[in-house]
Amino acid sequence: MDNWVIVMMLIVSLFLGAIALFAFMWGVKNGQFDDQEKYLNATKFDNVEDLQAAVEKEKKLEELRKKSYRPE
Amino acid sequence: MSNKIACTHCHLEFSEDVMIVDGTHYFCCNGCQGVFHLLSDEGLSSFYDKTGDIKLSPPTHQYEDSTNFNAPAFYDKFVKLNSDGFNEVSLIIEGIHCSACIWLNEKALHKMEGVVEANINFTNNKATITWVDSIVKLSEIIDMIRAIGYNAYPYDASLQEVHANKERKEYYLKMAVAIFASMNIMWIAVAQYAGFFSGMTKDMKTILNIAEGVLATPVLFYSGWVFFRGSYYGLKNRVVNMDLLVATGASLTYIYSVYITITELGEAYFDSVSMIITFVLIGKFLEVISKKNAADTLDIITKHLPSEINVVRDEKIVSIKLEDVVVGDIIVIASGEKILLDGIISKGEGFFDESSLTGESKPIYKGLEENIISGALSIDADIHYKASRDFEHSTLSNLVSLLETAINKKPRIEQLANKLSEHFSTVVLLLSIGTFFVWWIWPHSFEESLMVAISVIVIACPCALGLATPVATLVGLNLGAKKGILFKEAAQLETMAKVDVLLVDKTGTLTVGKPEVIKENTFDGFDIKLLYSLVKSSKHPISQGIKNHIIQAAEDIDEIIFDEFSQLSARGIVAKYKTNEIIGGNLQLMSEFGIEYVYESDESLFCFAINKQVVAVYELSDTIKEGASELVKFLANKDIQTIMLTGDHQQSAQKVAQHIGIKEVNYELTPQDKLAFVESLQSEGKVIVMVGDGINDILALGRSDIGIVMGSGSDIAIDVSDVVLLNDSLDSLLSAFKISDTTFKLIKQNFGISLVYNAVTIPLAMAGYVIPLIAALSMSFSSLLVVGNSLRIKYKWKRS
Repeated sequence: MDNWVIVMMLIVSLFLGAIALFAFMWGVKNGQFDDQEKYLNATKFDNVEDLQAAVEKEKKLEELRKKSYRPE
Repeated sequence: MSNKIACTHCHLEFSEDVMIVDGTHYFCCNGCQGVFHLLSDEGLSSFYDKTGDIKLSPPTHQYEDSTNFNAPAFYDKFVKLNSDGFNEVSLIIEGIHCSACIWLNEKALHKMEGVVEANINFTNNKATITWVDSIVKLSEIIDMIRAIGYNAYPYDASLQEVHANKERKEYYLKMAVAIFASMNIMWIAVAQYAGFFSGMTKDMKTILNIAEGVLATPVLFYSGWVFFRGSYYGLKNRVVNMDLLVATGASLTYIYSVYITITELGEAYFDSVSMIITFVLIGKFLEVISKKNAADTLDIITKHLPSEINVVRDEKIVSIKLEDVVVGDIIVIASGEKILLDGIISKGEGFFDESSLTGESKPIYKGLEENIISGALSIDADIHYKASRDFEHSTLSNLVSLLETAINKKPRIEQLANKLSEHFSTVVLLLSIGTFFVWWIWPHSFEESLMVAISVIVIACPCALGLATPVATLVGLNLGAKKGILFKEAAQLETMAKVDVLLVDKTGTLTVGKPEVIKENTFDGFDIKLLYSLVKSSKHPISQGIKNHIIQAAEDIDEIIFDEFSQLSARGIVAKYKTNEIIGGNLQLMSEFGIEYVYESDESLFCFAINKQVVAVYELSDTIKEGASELVKFLANKDIQTIMLTGDHQQSAQKVAQHIGIKEVNYELTPQDKLAFVESLQSEGKVIVMVGDGINDILALGRSDIGIVMGSGSDIAIDVSDVVLLNDSLDSLLSAFKISDTTFKLIKQNFGISLVYNAVTIPLAMAGYVIPLIAALSMSFSSLLVVGNSLRIKYKWKRS
């Protein structure tokens, strides 16, 4: 019984740690650490407008992507 | 003085009466006003909330037509198609001051129809812009950036840079995994060691072993992949390198540990597996980040040359591509421009600065029918000249192709670490194999012999050896950076410590390179305002020297607007103010205007006369930088030979050399001569450091073992050299030598520590006395010793 407690604890703690690790790796791959200054300052300028603009940008990208793939 | 008011856009302060008033806003110029209205119209005025009080540069610049960005040739060179089928370009944005500027540029571009993505890096001002070419053209994008008060120019994001970034990212990921796993293994190992001494059940031990095994697996196969790759390439070239030792050590230990875990016999070494990989990976990463991207020479050259040139075609001035100029074309050069093609002057006259080609410090006067060579700079001459060679055959391109070969032939001195690690790895592998057989032949079980053999590899873990060089050089690079010395590559610190000969250029390196006033004589009737206004309007180095002298001595001199003003080439300046006739120039000019004046001096003279009466005489000379003789003395004590290489005349070269104490002087050298000199010394087996600043030095800089360039030197020279002295001082050159010396000593000490350490522990391991705990502890301990030793030097240096 004791052994299983240990096994569970190991699994749970390593799993939690792994989540943090994967989050970090995702960030690195995404380029979030490429430019510290910009990402740190971004928090200062955070507002609803910019969020809206970001969503619109994504939409525009999606649209353009569709368009460019359209067979002609 | 009236009140100063800040411009609404750029925040620079000006007095109220010169400002443009626009409602409640004040603007310093039309440019700022235009940008302000554009931003309001676009709904981007929240930009001003973000800038705060940061001052921007006003957008006063007039730009050429941007449509040439749409030329197919330009697209070929700079624009790429990305995987989504969008066009992509890399730009450098000029005028970025703060993160609000980044915000503004990105927002403004995102608002444009057809722009997919604009990403600007704050740290290096580089931008990547993706757009759909059928909707918007690149020229419109550039126009937008210019319209909001910035400028953009393209750069070739060469493959190498992309590659280097990718490699760095890969290392980040691998290290993240390795460090995460190692840290977790450590706390599991604590439980294991506690159990080793106080006893625990076999089941418990197996559980802990499995947990460690699970963590060590990604470390070995994901993070440790670089070592497998490295040893594969090593073996392919028949070299036993450190990677092979790490890879075999780690994977043998891993296999053995898996075997132990399954059979439940003895102790597993999973902690050692992950620790070896992690430590050596960190060392390798430090090496990667301090390595210079091998310079893409072709790229360097094209980057610094304007691609267009103004020529006269059909009575009109048109700009055409440099490559399209044919022999016989009439080329137009304005003052301050660089000559890109060789030719003969057909109209105009003036001074040229050929110092970048010949090293001659004084400007050269050229008139009609005289030859001018590419690479020279027009100081005050507005001329037309006839091209006598096309670009491919011009002096400048010859220089470029010579430079390419020079860089390719640059010798690479083998680093101590590489030499050592090869032998070390071979010896350790042999010892371990030997140990295995001795134990096996001596009656022991297969497992036991294998365990001892593996413990030899684990204990001889090259962690300390792998960290010895990178940590020491990192300390060296940091010391250098603090003193304004940029080593482009860590390995250069080691090379520089082995130097035999120092070659120095004169102009701009040992001397300031610009004439400075060394003696001032003023007589009755002298008016500093007149002189200041006179010299301020000329670009000639002598005038500039006097101007700087006046500014240093006095502040706030009101400028006078002359009624008449003209520059006489090679002689001086003549002006009229109210009833006064003002003449400034050399003795020749004085006698031309009928002024009898005698003054004897070896230096360049500038006489200043008001109404035919000489009221001031200045002696100017190129001054020697501080610390020159100390440098020469220091090097002489270290048995490093100092030789001066200059394109200047014997007289001025020897004057400077004597003053500083340099015994060997070579004068009147062309860039090719300098290169030949470096080559001949290298063929004698000498390690050469060359210090220079101009284009006339680039060949020698590229070829010598270490090329050091002054920060104010020409861009090409900075690119081809290995070390940049940001503050131009000879003191920092001296520091560079000292730092490289210290660092090399440090590297040797670190190797000493890790080798002595291994000499003690390997026999213990071979005798079978090493338990896993000791192996793991000793590994960390040796690495700590090496790191600690390196940091010690840093503090020692700081104190002195």
